[in-house]
Amino acid sequence: MSNLNINSIKNQTYDAIVIGSGISGGWAAKELTGKGLRTLVLERGREVKHVTNYPTTTKMPWEFEHRNQLKKEVIDANPVISKCYAFYEGTEQFFVKDAEHPYVQEKPFDWIRGYQTGGKSLMWARQTQRWSEYDFEGPARDGFAVDWPIRYADIAPWYSYVEKFAGISGNKDGLASLPDGEFLTPHEMNCVEKYFSQETAKNYKDRHIIIGRAAHLTSPKQIHFDQGRASCQNRTICERGCPYGGYFSSNSSTLPWAAKTGKMTLRPHSVVHSIIYDEKKNKATGVRVIDSNTKQMTEYYARIIFVNAAAINTNLVLLNSTSHRFPNGLGNDNDLLGKYVAFHNYRATINADYEGFLDSTTDGRRPNSAYIPRFRNVFKQETDFLRGYASGFNAGRYQHEDRSGMGEDLKNNILNPQYNNVWSVGSHMMGETIPKASNFVALDKTLVDPWGIPQLRINVDYDDNDVKMTKDFFEQLTEMYTKAGFKNIRTNDSNRTPGLDIHEMGGVRMGKDPKTSMLNKWNALHNCKNVFVTDGASMTSTSTQNPSLTYMALTARAADYAVKEMRKGNL
Amino acid sequence: MQRRSVVKNIALTIGAAIVLPAWANAWNRESFQNSFLKNPISQENLLAEIVETIIPKTNTPGAKELNVQQFVPVMVMDCYDKNAQEIYKKGFDLVENNAKNTYSKSFADCDAKQRLEVLNKMSKSENSDEKKYIQLVKGLTIQGYLNSEYVMTNLRVYEYAPARYHGCVPVKI
Repeated sequence: MSNLNINSIKNQTYDAIVIGSGISGGWAAKELTGKGLRTLVLERGREVKHVTNYPTTTKMPWEFEHRNQLKKEVIDANPVISKCYAFYEGTEQFFVKDAEHPYVQEKPFDWIRGYQTGGKSLMWARQTQRWSEYDFEGPARDGFAVDWPIRYADIAPWYSYVEKFAGISGNKDGLASLPDGEFLTPHEMNCVEKYFSQETAKNYKDRHIIIGRAAHLTSPKQIHFDQGRASCQNRTICERGCPYGGYFSSNSSTLPWAAKTGKMTLRPHSVVHSIIYDEKKNKATGVRVIDSNTKQMTEYYARIIFVNAAAINTNLVLLNSTSHRFPNGLGNDNDLLGKYVAFHNYRATINADYEGFLDSTTDGRRPNSAYIPRFRNVFKQETDFLRGYASGFNAGRYQHEDRSGMGEDLKNNILNPQYNNVWSVGSHMMGETIPKASNFVALDKTLVDPWGIPQLRINVDYDDNDVKMTKDFFEQLTEMYTKAGFKNIRTNDSNRTPGLDIHEMGGVRMGKDPKTSMLNKWNALHNCKNVFVTDGASMTSTSTQNPSLTYMALTARAADYAVKEMRKGNL
Repeated sequence: MQRRSVVKNIALTIGAAIVLPAWANAWNRESFQNSFLKNPISQENLLAEIVETIIPKTNTPGAKELNVQQFVPVMVMDCYDKNAQEIYKKGFDLVENNAKNTYSKSFADCDAKQRLEVLNKMSKSENSDEKKYIQLVKGLTIQGYLNSEYVMTNLRVYEYAPARYHGCVPVKI
């Protein structure tokens, strides 16, 4: 501070700072600039501009030297990221390589990261379901974690708000367990998916098969054209970035919208070291940023700070924000920071065949699948485990080629693939895990990363509840499949490492009581009220929905509150 | 990367159809970074005859014309483990030996039927190296052929942007 003159302090001062430009940071940028705040958006990675920085998006399959397979040296050097389904020759540039940002796996944890503008919103799976009343009530009803400080009614208008802008396709299914949203035209379920939906409705009164709700512009409206986006073209190579803006990402939507206000300064290569706390003012005054190229530290100042670094990194930033007042991390009087981390249990899959509709197939491609909302323990406790699981459901009429022999016959055979004489069907489990103090992240006392910041020790694992739930998934889905006449049912427990779900949440949980939670009902730190955490770190529990839509809604809601409080002079 | 595009451009100016077919794209000798794959032209020529035997020219181009012989070694080098690479290296001699033992001439001098016979015999061989070599090269030949621009734009058409999904249409027979 001492060597800074007044001008440079002024140049480094904004109304608001947003740490991170991913799915929630992009929303914070859009909302805060939209309300007139001069906003600095800090992105630790490089800049990836919409369209121009999607190097593989218009490549044809034959233009990839290895036909989208990863090189062996890439797999060998990156045992973690190579496990991610979306990591291949055409997307390597968007994922953090294992060596780039080291962390300590006290227990195995696959930490999947995207360090660039847009973060993981570039490569996400785009499934967007609302939480229901029953999800927010979960911890209080079942006695785990702490009670959420909000209910569905608090967030419902904000779901609507973000859905309209982002563009969410879906069908109004009228289910209490999965509230309808502001939907664009739904994708179509295919014949076997519709059949399974009808059979399941006959066989169970509380189980539903619906089309997935996905952030795709199936029928764009003016607000989407205004963003420079156009209809989804059903290419299903979304994770390479979409030149049409056919799916929602920060890059295609919120960030350019924020930039248009003229109020946003986006600073790439900016690794946030910590948040600066002023004991006299009793609030945060700015952040310390390490330029990832020069390794120089610069301070930036603002009246409010949104931390949207992605769940685990948000924990890291707060843990590393130590001061005389907060020796254990910002706002961490109760020693809860970094604890009660949870995730989604994706380890179970089930596959089968169906011998009907053999005169039918599908045409075109669909960046979505069908979805089975949670049916276990929704309205009351029914099983020997807590909570439940949602599932995907997908049916496809696949083709095969006879690859035997060599010569003209082989050539003829591979040029004339035959339809399989079954439809292939399958589901994957998305189970709620119970946040516990023993699932946590903490700073390592000696190891540092390439920017001189302590490495994180990650200590997250399954528990007995997850094992019981996995067993139930197999039993229930097997029964549903059997009743629908599916044959050749195969179950698989991959036992995959937590983290690979890319739905890590918690560590800075919301709650009513400063003694038992980090954030209040507006996502502000109880003990440092001008710092807001609105990404996955804020989640009190995980429920079963893909979480991004909830982060977007929480962010817009918190930004609205923050600006109102600023105007009242409270922040 | 840059050097490659320069080479590509030169190739274009002097007649891409001969020097570097349009569909060869990234498969060219520049991709060969490992010494054993920088190997003699003779080995590439032999591989060209092998892939052509696996997928021959009919009224449409065969694997050789589509330069699959340039795709195969790049994949072996970059995407396969040492074991596969060793088998790949040994395989060429095995092919030659089989041709010589059976027909007293090199593979290249055999006629199409004899070549097919050599590869078929190796694919059923008791010698696991021979069998694995054929498996490896045949698999990559099919992959390179099916994913070539020619096949994907003329024979099994890849749609870049279908802009549709219909969940239930009649199977075309």
